[in-house]
Amino acid sequence: MATADQIEAWAGRYGKEIHAYLWRMLGDGQDADDALQETFLRVLRHRRPASILEPRAWLYAVAGNVARSQLRRRRREGERRATPDVDLAAPDGVADRDRVDAVRRVVESLPAKQRQALLLRRYQGLSYDEVARVLGGNAQAARANVYQAVVKLKKAFPEEVR
Amino acid sequence: MTKHKDLPDKELERWLAGAAPPVETPIFAATLDAAFAAGPEPKTWRRAQQRLQDRLNDSAPRVYYDRVGSSLVGPLWVAVTDHGLAAVTYGGSEAEFAGRVGRRLRSTPVRSTERTVAVRRELDEYLRGRRTSFSVPVDLRHVTPFQRSVLEAARSVPRGQVASYGDIGRRIGKPGAARAVGQALGSNPVPIVVPCHRVLASDGSLGGYSGRGGLRTKRRLLALEGAALP
Repeated sequence: MATADQIEAWAGRYGKEIHAYLWRMLGDGQDADDALQETFLRVLRHRRPASILEPRAWLYAVAGNVARSQLRRRRREGERRATPDVDLAAPDGVADRDRVDAVRRVVESLPAKQRQALLLRRYQGLSYDEVARVLGGNAQAARANVYQAVVKLKKAFPEEVR
Repeated sequence: MTKHKDLPDKELERWLAGAAPPVETPIFAATLDAAFAAGPEPKTWRRAQQRLQDRLNDSAPRVYYDRVGSSLVGPLWVAVTDHGLAAVTYGGSEAEFAGRVGRRLRSTPVRSTERTVAVRRELDEYLRGRRTSFSVPVDLRHVTPFQRSVLEAARSVPRGQVASYGDIGRRIGKPGAARAVGQALGSNPVPIVVPCHRVLASDGSLGGYSGRGGLRTKRRLLALEGAALP
């Protein structure tokens, strides 16, 4: 049985970055909220929490699973994905917003491992070793997943440079 | 539209490691950053944090416990949550009490003199005959709805008076449930404070008492309260 103190300590230490990860996976604030709670409740339900040796990687892995099942449910329900609040102060803001929407859709269409590997590496600041501990496999596989995501994104936005 | 420009691997690695996109950046990198780099707004995180905190508090209540000495009924263990008094147990070992309460409340109880001060003071005063009622809140979230209604009904029996198992059944709208009432009182998690000792058999005999000392303890509590004993 996990203790309230242990979970609270983990929530204090890792809650913010796990929430940011879920926000990046799910966009909409409410969904990320729900997924955050579900992630930490799974710690509570864990039969042998003492066996979780690397809580940060474990939480990232669980958060990824929770987010993926939310995305699956969303797709089943044919729910329109909410656009996240992104500050677009650029002068051509409207075009940028369209592009942000488009990039989110492309990212969402990537295979789960590639999407997660890219978000973990570039936006959560994990090393390839750490990405591997979250997603399984080794650092080379993690790097390959990130590169495959990049290749697909380049193809999706082929023509322009800034 | 300008010509497509790939990020060389070295630049791509630097970008992936957190560097800002180079000036001549393929649009995907800048657009990706526009969508993902900033992360949730601080107020979005604060709301999520608060909701997580509330949820964890509900799911894994913090439990504090300590010991209360008493010459009348022997030592007691008491445990409190954020919602109030959740356990009173007659005697036994500390480890046994903490383990049982922890399993019941899905938490790991922490021994605390400070957090249990109000409960211990009230129990001590009560058992010395210097207090007639309890003001500490009672946490009955972890019992069944039926048991909760029985315990609430038992709480409404005033000091110095007694009721029968049948009376309690009638009070909660289940007149035929005297036996179930007896069972619900028998597993009262907070004896003394929820005065299951004031509930007797319908024939006026003492009925049962599952606390240590059994009927002797029940009789002592009733005598302390000045109830007319059978």
